[in-house]
Amino acid sequence: MTQRNRPGRDRTRQLFAELAGAPPGSPRHQQVRDELVEIHLSLVRYLANRFTGRGEPADDLVQIGTIGLLQSIDRFEPERGLEFSTFATPNIVGEIKRHFRDRGWMVRVPRRLQELQSEIGVGINDLTHRLGRSPTVAELAGHLRVSQEQILEATESARAYSALPIDVPHAGTGRTIADGLVEPDAAMDHVELRHALRPVLAGLAERDRQALLLRFVENKTQSEIAEVLGISQVHVSRLLARTLAELREQLPDLHHD
Amino acid sequence: MTVENATGTVALTVPAEAGYLALLRTVIASLAAGRDFTLDEIDDLRIAVDEAGALLLPHARPGSQLSANFAGSAGGLRVEVAVTPPAGPLPEPDRSSFAWLVLTALTDSVELAGSGGRLSLVLTKVRGTRDR
Repeated sequence: MTQRNRPGRDRTRQLFAELAGAPPGSPRHQQVRDELVEIHLSLVRYLANRFTGRGEPADDLVQIGTIGLLQSIDRFEPERGLEFSTFATPNIVGEIKRHFRDRGWMVRVPRRLQELQSEIGVGINDLTHRLGRSPTVAELAGHLRVSQEQILEATESARAYSALPIDVPHAGTGRTIADGLVEPDAAMDHVELRHALRPVLAGLAERDRQALLLRFVENKTQSEIAEVLGISQVHVSRLLARTLAELREQLPDLHHD
Repeated sequence: MTVENATGTVALTVPAEAGYLALLRTVIASLAAGRDFTLDEIDDLRIAVDEAGALLLPHARPGSQLSANFAGSAGGLRVEVAVTPPAGPLPEPDRSSFAWLVLTALTDSVELAGSGGRLSLVLTKVRGTRDR
């Protein structure tokens, strides 16, 4: 990874020093705080973008993320040696996620689709037992008397609500969120990644880890895993999608522990 | 834009950004459904496309595109996902990485290919290799 120039970083340090010197509530304090918000809005926008496409307008998410940014500015302790962006990122993401949780994102899936999703879960179980294998979309559509498109739509949205990977670069800047979190010289290579994976796997919930190992090491199908774990195939699908997204998100994070 | 031509090849080109992977998932799920893949296999393909994207996108440069070519074959599907143009020299695949393990578990073959202007992963999945 190449050394990157970050003019904002020094300015941020300077501003926090000023903020500490200005009495809370004074015009100067407010002014410094405003500038800190302004130079970190691009970080908020970037993080908010990871959550778009879920029926929430991007502007709202930026506003919600900004709440996390403000809280971070007020709680940040520069003397602890952490970069501000490193400190603020989990707070901003946390605020946005809390918003989705509070609003009950799944409730925002149209009722029709929700009902179909539960019918699909039952249908897959029935057909899997009858056929001795996972059904095709055509078979399930015929069984439930709905179109194949509806099945595809419902199964895709059932596995949704997994955050985008954190280590994917933004097309405009080529920078990744992970870049914002680690020092430029701390670029991870795959060897480190491999070492990093072990504690991440260890940190997973027992069932998540079991599902992951069954699927990717023992090469079981989702239906077989569903059988072993005593849950539905739809549940396995969601669990795998979520766990993989979590893993991608956690790997870069290990670096500054 | 997707185009299905006389040979049954579907091509899709999107900006090289993670947000567009959903489009690739939708296309592959639809094509696999049309070819009578099971729901298990369709979900494998969706995850594989996600992982392929996660492997390739770090090699994109600003303005790069992610292109996917989907082709049906007798008993399966072949998809090539490519970043054009990639940033920097072509990387060696780390076959012991977790992402690689995931890809090989989900598909019947995985190949990393690259030449000057593109870096691509070619995945194939045969229908019903386990179940039928």
